[in-house]
Amino acid sequence: MSTAVGRTKHAEAILGSELHTRLSFTKVLVVGAGGIGCELLKTLVLTGFTQITLLDLDTIDLSNLNRQFLFRTKDVKKPKSITAARAASSFNPNVKISPIFGNIKDEEYDIDWFKGFGVVLNALDNLDARRHVNRMCMAAEVPLVESGTAGYLGQVQPLVKDATECFDCIPKPTPKSFPVCTIRSTPSQPIHCIVWSKSYLMGQLFGRDEDAGETSELDEAENNGENVEEIANLRKEAQSFSRVRAAIRSYTPNSTSTADQDNDPAKLAFQKIFSSDIQNLLNMGDMWKHREPPVPLDYNQIISGTFILDRQGSNKAKEESNRVNGASSLNGTGNKKTAEKVVMKDQRKLTLKENLVLFNTSVQSLSMRLSTSQVQTIEFDKDDEDTLDFVTAASNLRSAAYGIEGKSKWEVKEMAGNIIPAIATTNAIIAGLIVLQALNLLRASPSTRPSSSEPVNATTAAPSSSSTVASPASADYSLLRNVHIQLKPSVPLSSVTCSSPNPNCGVCRDVYTLVRCDRTQTTLRDVVQGVLGWTSGQSQNREGAIENGQSQNGNRNENENGSNDDDDDGSERKEISVYEDKRILVDPDWDDNLDRTLDSLNVGRGKFISIVDEEGDWETVQVVIGELPASHPSTASPYILPSPLPKLVKRKKIKPLVPSVPSTPPPRLSLKRSLPTDADDGDVMIIDGHNGNGRTRDGDGEGQRALKKPRLGAYDNQRDAKTTTPTMDLTSPGKRKRLEEDGLVLMDGPGEVDEFEEDVIVIDDD
Amino acid sequence: MNDSQPIETATTSIQMSSGAPDAKTRRYDRQLRLWAASGQAALESARILVIPATATTTSILKNLVLPGLGHFTLMDDKVVTGADAGNNFFLDGFKSIGKFRAQEVVNGLMEMNDGVEGVADVRNIREALEIDKGWLKTFDIVVAHNVDSVILDDLAALLWPDTHLVVVNSAGFLADFSIHYREHQVIESHVETSPSLRIDQAFPALLEYAMSLPLDTMDITDHAHIPYPVILVRALEEWRREREQVSGPSSGKGVPRTTAERKVFKERIRAMMRKFDEENFEEAEAQAFKCWTPTVIPSEVRELFNLHPSSASSSTTFSGLVSGLSQFSQNNPASPQYPSGLLPLTPSLPDMKSSTEEYVKLQKLFRAQSEKEKQVFKEYLSRAQVDVNDATIDQFLKNSHAIKVLKGREWKEINPGAKELLAGKLSTHTKEAATHLALAAIRKLRAKSVISSLEYVSSPNDTAMTDILDKDKLKDLLTAEAKSFLPPAVELPEAEWLVASGEVARAPSADLPTTAAFLGGLVAQEVIKMITKQYIPISAGNAASSTNDQLGICVVDLVETWTGIL
Repeated sequence: MSTAVGRTKHAEAILGSELHTRLSFTKVLVVGAGGIGCELLKTLVLTGFTQITLLDLDTIDLSNLNRQFLFRTKDVKKPKSITAARAASSFNPNVKISPIFGNIKDEEYDIDWFKGFGVVLNALDNLDARRHVNRMCMAAEVPLVESGTAGYLGQVQPLVKDATECFDCIPKPTPKSFPVCTIRSTPSQPIHCIVWSKSYLMGQLFGRDEDAGETSELDEAENNGENVEEIANLRKEAQSFSRVRAAIRSYTPNSTSTADQDNDPAKLAFQKIFSSDIQNLLNMGDMWKHREPPVPLDYNQIISGTFILDRQGSNKAKEESNRVNGASSLNGTGNKKTAEKVVMKDQRKLTLKENLVLFNTSVQSLSMRLSTSQVQTIEFDKDDEDTLDFVTAASNLRSAAYGIEGKSKWEVKEMAGNIIPAIATTNAIIAGLIVLQALNLLRASPSTRPSSSEPVNATTAAPSSSSTVASPASADYSLLRNVHIQLKPSVPLSSVTCSSPNPNCGVCRDVYTLVRCDRTQTTLRDVVQGVLGWTSGQSQNREGAIENGQSQNGNRNENENGSNDDDDDGSERKEISVYEDKRILVDPDWDDNLDRTLDSLNVGRGKFISIVDEEGDWETVQVVIGELPASHPSTASPYILPSPLPKLVKRKKIKPLVPSVPSTPPPRLSLKRSLPTDADDGDVMIIDGHNGNGRTRDGDGEGQRALKKPRLGAYDNQRDAKTTTPTMDLTSPGKRKRLEEDGLVLMDGPGEVDEFEEDVIVIDDD
Repeated sequence: MNDSQPIETATTSIQMSSGAPDAKTRRYDRQLRLWAASGQAALESARILVIPATATTTSILKNLVLPGLGHFTLMDDKVVTGADAGNNFFLDGFKSIGKFRAQEVVNGLMEMNDGVEGVADVRNIREALEIDKGWLKTFDIVVAHNVDSVILDDLAALLWPDTHLVVVNSAGFLADFSIHYREHQVIESHVETSPSLRIDQAFPALLEYAMSLPLDTMDITDHAHIPYPVILVRALEEWRREREQVSGPSSGKGVPRTTAERKVFKERIRAMMRKFDEENFEEAEAQAFKCWTPTVIPSEVRELFNLHPSSASSSTTFSGLVSGLSQFSQNNPASPQYPSGLLPLTPSLPDMKSSTEEYVKLQKLFRAQSEKEKQVFKEYLSRAQVDVNDATIDQFLKNSHAIKVLKGREWKEINPGAKELLAGKLSTHTKEAATHLALAAIRKLRAKSVISSLEYVSSPNDTAMTDILDKDKLKDLLTAEAKSFLPPAVELPEAEWLVASGEVARAPSADLPTTAAFLGGLVAQEVIKMITKQYIPISAGNAASSTNDQLGICVVDLVETWTGIL
């Protein structure tokens, strides 16, 4: 090596040469090149790791530069992964950093790919991706170090399949949620209007066409017993966006003719949303018996400065309308031209008129983008000024109509963009802790190279482990710690030993196996029955069909405890359901899909097929669909079953399982999302690092506590987040998922709207 | 400098006068949401000195340069070795070898943020201590890492108490650090406790409103929207009036005390429901403890009143505010029934089950009362001729229940600390104390030049280091030093000392990148807390309290991954 003499002296002296040498043989995957990622990359390189793959899908934004120290102003808009890799490589030419500018959820990053790494380090900022990587690592049995930060708070957690709990062993706090009708017709807080603008209106105007008439969310609301008449009205409202959508997509700027002005998308949208839709709502008299009715807004009057929000009989509304309208006289002086140019100051609350002008300009710029470029849809992005302007203006206009306090652009950005305060210090601490836990993992896990007889040097400092030689037979995970940085000045760091897997976890308790196949030639039956050993005639090397459930393969009869419990013999042909993600492919009464090919079922590479035992005796089997090796002869079977077949694992029944109700929520999901009950209280206590006084709590309290110390993810930070039962009805998974990604889950019923609980994380108490 | 200002004006003040937010605001967006422009302004005007240019101090500086520190000087008279080049990310690799460490590190750091002023000073700190005393005192904070005991003693004596000193020591996976200041005032402590709603001592307008509601005849929907504080005030007042009839007028301000009384009181709230599912009443029942949790001035704030008595003339704005608060707590004419023992009412309400209308009604009552009390407070200020703007007053009153005045210790008090105190710590905080003693011992040895040959700076080959001093011998030396810190009869705890002295002997000054990264974050964070005067840094305790044996040292053990305060 061309390393200067002494270069690694510090690290070698402390880590010991055996461990230090192993670092350079360990392939590391770093997911995320943001705040944590930059720090992590630096610390990895300095510590002596030399084979690093760095993946990130994002480009550099100016607001990254206060902490992501590998980036400079000139790097703004460049891919984070490539820029960070280049900056960190220059430090040590012996280090090989392979940057990937891509999404970790893409199919090419499959189980085989994950298996290629010795350890995976998460440096992500959103829960969805963190859960994905967790699942992949559990499936690939690669150790993972999880992390997250929010302001001064942070967390690091090493995760090893079967040795520790996984990221999903403890249900994550569900983000703030609102009943559909609160968002769509009876908002009472600024956040309701912001969610409406961002998650509903944005999609209706600038989203995909098929979303426009989308009604599943409303079907669901109806099923959940929300007001039927109200929903019928909302349905009508949703379908009548077509004219506005058309105007947006045919928008041409600079046209002055009156005809064109009538077709001004901004004005059309305004008239529909803030005037006629509200008028329609007002016609539903019952709704406003005990509620303050909204007031339709008048476009021309607002522009001319003569609009007065008339809200009789309500002091509060008068006060609010005064506030919203307060400055309108200021605008009365300017002529129309100058009024178009609203001076934006982020932290100032806008007047009604300013909001209208901002609404116009933002709709026009967004329309321009749709009508003049290849872009088909525009989604909300907090760093996209146009969309932020739009959401700010639309939510404030709606707030004005409903007599709700307005919000400044700065505040809307934080609320709509799930912005988490982020600083260099916390990220540096976390990165240091991640590498420490990675070193602990390496020390614990069997060496891939012949290890010296010397105990690993660094452990000599710890009496508990000084005599432990990391041998392949006995991995010693006793040094792993689940660490939180907290705001308590007396205990900056809370560090607890890792918990065992949650026996009810729907991710790490599942059995994972891989089937390589040609998806156009392989049927679902081939995969399911092949993996379960229920071979039918045409399948390969099993001896004969097993009709009565008596397996001829000894392995199949094993269960963990070697018990003689006949009823739970894993080889029996059980009633099963099959899912791909949340999509049900087969259930006991419906197996039409079994003879369809995976391709025709749209089950792609890297997808998981979940085989769920309807009676809940076995752990779910997750079949990962892989590609056939290039060398696979074309004449051979179109699929390769795993060898040996996966061992079915008897589920440990710690507590009663959620009863499986046919057709409603998939049992797998309900298991995964089940809220810990009192029986699990101890576990949760350990995880949270709280005082373990084991108070009895009901389910609700449990969730509340989880919220007090949430996993730190992108939307954990909702300021008014409150507890909801994580068991979700997923009848509309697509929609739900999209909203979940937005940090929003639509509620099952209206009952929970009035629950107030304390903020999750106090960012600042302005 | 203003201690604080509200976020809205604060964050606008650093913007350009028009247009979209300027590049600076965008760059610092994520941290402004944490400490607002007041914190940012403090950071940007801070000047700090850092000694010397190790991997750890570079990490600390990195985390101060990124968020936009005003000025730093990095002092180090050594040149870069191969070990440095492999250990310090901000050196320019091999190209830096042989050049001044301070200059090379400053060059690397400055690339990150051109808004920061960074200066390399290639003198030895000893030299500056001799000839540049005045200049050393111009800094707001001095950070020293693994500096020997003698230099630290001189430096600390010079700086105390005007310039804060941050002492960081690390060896391998172990470290400790401490911040030395006499007193540190925090208005925006960002603690999670919320101010009292004064249920037990309701202000006149609230009491009147609560008693005026026709509970039995009002609209049933309105009834289900009465906010819980109103319900509680009503229930408590009715309870008091009943008791007064039974036990005489003197009992008029009591609260339910016994378990039985409280149970009956909760049942009374439940009985006020007109429908079985009125959630606001359920909430009131759940919050009933607020009736018998007396509204008092938090003890820490009360202790401050002794520190800044209302009679004394106020030298600073802060002490003026505190003594105003003290006077207010003795006499608040805006609350005639309860004129003493209260802090000014804060206008903010927590979330509660209610209609927007009812909520706003209650909010108005609170706002009006809080405005009255603010006027009382301002009257006290103007009588004492405290010159302070309204924004500062608002900020102060908003946080008055949580203001903190922290006590620090002088360096000589904790290097290594009084013998008896250390002996006590060894029995109560064994691991922390053992680590502290081992690091203090190596500092002493460093001053005696015993281990200078172990520093990785002497020659590129460093083959000499193991020859001169083997680990076991160093361990013995450490043990001898540590024993000299303790009373004669006190033994070192065998297991813990073995671990701590072993780690220090194994790596007396090796700067592990992970430890450096961790310390870099933790220490920079504390420095930012000191500079911004927001959040609560580690301390030796409450400045006003005399009974405290805290040393104010944060101990870090990354072998077992824990931190503790000694």
